[in-house]
Amino acid sequence: MKKKTNSFIVVYAALPAAIAAAVFVGCRKSSTPAQTDRMLIRLPLFTKIQTLDSGNLTDVYSLGIASQIFESLYEYHYLKRPCELVPLLAEEMPQISDDHLTYTIRIKKGIFFQDDPCFPDGKGREVTAADFVYALKRIANVKYMSQRWPDWNGRIVGLDEFREFTKGFQRELDVDYSRPVEGLQALDDYTLQFKLTKPWPQLAWYLASAVTAPAAREAAEYYGRDIMYHPVGTGPFRLKIWQRSFYIELVRNETWHGGFYPAEGEPSDAENGYLADAGKPLPFADAILYRIIEEFQPAWLMFLRGDLDMMQIFKDNFSQAVNPDTLTAAPEMSERGIRLLVFDDPSVFWVGFNMQDAVLGPNKPLRKAICRAIDRQAANRLFFNGVHKIAYGYLPPGLEEYDPNIVHTDYARYDPAEARALIQEAQALFGGPIPPLTIAIPGTSNLDRQIGQFLQKYFADVGLQLRVDYMDWPTYLDGLNKGKLQIFFSGASPSIPDSLDMLMAFCSWNWGYGGNHFYYSNPQFDDLYRQVEGMFPGPERTRLCRRMERIMLDDYPAAFLSHRVSIAIIHDWYKNAKPHVFSYNTAKYRKIDLEQRSRYKKLLKELKKTQK
Amino acid sequence: MTVYIFRRLLYTVPIVVGVLLLTFFLFSVVGGDISPQIAGKNADAQTIAEIRHEYGFDKPLFLSWDSQFVNHFRKALTFQFGRALDREKISEKILRGVGPSLSLTIPMFLGTLVLSLTLALLVAFVRGSWLDMVVVILCVAGMSIPYLSFIIYGQYFFAYKLGWFPILYMPEESLLTSLTLPVLIGIIAGLGGNLRFYRTVVLDEMRSDYVRTAFAKGLSTTQVLFKHVLKNALIPIITSVVLSIPYLFLGSLLLERFFGIPGLGSLMIEAIASRDFFIINAMTFIFSLLIVVFTLLTDICYAWADPRIKLE
Repeated sequence: MKKKTNSFIVVYAALPAAIAAAVFVGCRKSSTPAQTDRMLIRLPLFTKIQTLDSGNLTDVYSLGIASQIFESLYEYHYLKRPCELVPLLAEEMPQISDDHLTYTIRIKKGIFFQDDPCFPDGKGREVTAADFVYALKRIANVKYMSQRWPDWNGRIVGLDEFREFTKGFQRELDVDYSRPVEGLQALDDYTLQFKLTKPWPQLAWYLASAVTAPAAREAAEYYGRDIMYHPVGTGPFRLKIWQRSFYIELVRNETWHGGFYPAEGEPSDAENGYLADAGKPLPFADAILYRIIEEFQPAWLMFLRGDLDMMQIFKDNFSQAVNPDTLTAAPEMSERGIRLLVFDDPSVFWVGFNMQDAVLGPNKPLRKAICRAIDRQAANRLFFNGVHKIAYGYLPPGLEEYDPNIVHTDYARYDPAEARALIQEAQALFGGPIPPLTIAIPGTSNLDRQIGQFLQKYFADVGLQLRVDYMDWPTYLDGLNKGKLQIFFSGASPSIPDSLDMLMAFCSWNWGYGGNHFYYSNPQFDDLYRQVEGMFPGPERTRLCRRMERIMLDDYPAAFLSHRVSIAIIHDWYKNAKPHVFSYNTAKYRKIDLEQRSRYKKLLKELKKTQK
Repeated sequence: MTVYIFRRLLYTVPIVVGVLLLTFFLFSVVGGDISPQIAGKNADAQTIAEIRHEYGFDKPLFLSWDSQFVNHFRKALTFQFGRALDREKISEKILRGVGPSLSLTIPMFLGTLVLSLTLALLVAFVRGSWLDMVVVILCVAGMSIPYLSFIIYGQYFFAYKLGWFPILYMPEESLLTSLTLPVLIGIIAGLGGNLRFYRTVVLDEMRSDYVRTAFAKGLSTTQVLFKHVLKNALIPIITSVVLSIPYLFLGSLLLERFFGIPGLGSLMIEAIASRDFFIINAMTFIFSLLIVVFTLLTDICYAWADPRIKLE
């Protein structure tokens, strides 16, 4: 009897041991043990990324990471403003023919792809001009379904014909890439030549994007459709691990060709400490860890505890972090050595309409009513702390073609009474009550839900019923590209410092993957775009761009809400953090003062004592 | 016993087939060919055809060795569920998530069980006292507080303010470091409901005649509680415990999301958010399978715990 009782006690007592065992069995040191002397940059990402396949990069999140792995012919000078291009994999700036139709570019020797199992013995081979040709032909390959094809559509002699040729193949990898394209040739291993169908002043900007980085055909063949998870580039970092939805770790690429921190910049750069590392070899960091944190609270607490080096200011931490009158760090932040970076970020947010939608497309009064129904000032106050600039038009301030007179127009006027009158008109046109509309919002966080509720309220105020569909970023992007969304909350920034890059989003040949997610089409707009795209910057070009903007605004394909003013909050140990709104390959310049970072924990303890 | 187990195993076959039929009906017959949705409304016919071929929607539904019906069974029974919408293999996603999920849920489950059972025995023994009252009030309070509040306050006080734990799962640290706080939060948040349940179960037994008899015979409190009361209370406890085990494999949706733990709970949230029916289908099948297996285990445990239950 006694023995049986004891066995129960033993079983019962074994449970806590089992708890410990379960934890310890689960415990395993990851392959990257924490090393205090390792310079690890830790950044938050508030959304999942879609792909790391260079030829299909479209969104800023994917570009932001891929640009540390892939390198292109040119890059933006890190410090100089206004933006200036400098050679990266190219030996020099392109030699351009007098008629602006032929670009000849010599590329550097001794550039190697990172080591990867796709290469014999796992050793990366030297990059040649043929790899640049392959990268662009791949984008043209219709079976590859690159979302970046619209950038190149009709630009390069023979490339459109190559695209037609690829239609005859079953699969992407079946395509015969040896078929020559007259306007895209490797003259020898280190010389690349572009022949254009017409002058294209923006070409060099596009050659500074990771999208045009040399692509290793071995990688495409080795990984097949999984290449999006296996980027093989030439950059200072390589992908170590990508745990989708959780984190991405990049580590230093040991075979990188090298580079140096710039020695000159803007006059204020020395004063701001951005020239302290002038001439030093890059990169500074050993690794970069991007944490995907979809909830705001843990990210903010991690930042305050010093577990993240930088993050952006959100609605919920604004009052704690920012002095709203001066847009400087609040005293509580300053005493922790935390500071703000405030900068204009040319961009625009909108509530976009799918112009091919049966309800919205043929009903301009309805679209105009929605534009009148939204109080942009309230949205700015509620969600952007009143810091954003109201978008009276589409093109953001900071671009040469921005029209200062746009503020005198009424495209962004909040007028619920007029909206209600317009809805009467819209119903007559539709032939009955307007059915419930559906908006897609990229994100499922509290902020996203608040934005959804805000829009529902303003739609309801004018008699429209709005359903909100919250989705993660890749699903949202997929829906946009495929025209599945009726109304969408979105935004865009130009990928190059040129308004045409933004206006392209309304060209009829760019529907879907091309970036025209409004499925907007206006022949007058298209004609003007074709006229302007070959023009070099000047007053006439500016006038025509503004004209195009007005033509589009008159059709109300979206309710444009605001232009972003970015506020980044950084710890003082995060060095060389000068913002650049067009350049993505900036991680190689960033540096962590490890000693300063380790002192922060002590500072936190002292602050706690003081608070007590 | 062996015959019984064998017979019960045979019973599971039609149940599994039923689950597969149901999921096939829901995802393939009712859901139909979703290739156009995957491709988008502006996709050309060729693209849609390629997607249709890739996901097998171009195969006949039934009446062929290569039909969607046969493939549905084949994929499930070989655990090769194909690829998710993001192109990654579903089986790899699931395998990767099992470890972190179980490392979180097993200690959480065992911790809650041990603590709630211990406290239940204790308060049942001193029922009606101030200690019993306090515990009951705390249980009700604990059940009333939203799970999310435990997470947010736990993160704020224990991780941020006190600095005892990392705020988020840290890939460069051990799982022990990263999971201790979510496990503790899970235990505390789950304690109220479990403790009340076990207290009720134990109290029912404590009121039985045999308990009075046992004390009258002079048995010690430990002997009465652990030998008689606990053993007799085991049936409802086993039902609750064993049938909870399949849920451990699903992970914890909120804890995984807020602590950035790359487990199966997060995978499910992600699949629902991205409308990835292929993942949802795979997880549904695995979960059903686990329910079937653990129901069988529950029946076997009944016989072990209570000899009055005959297996034959």
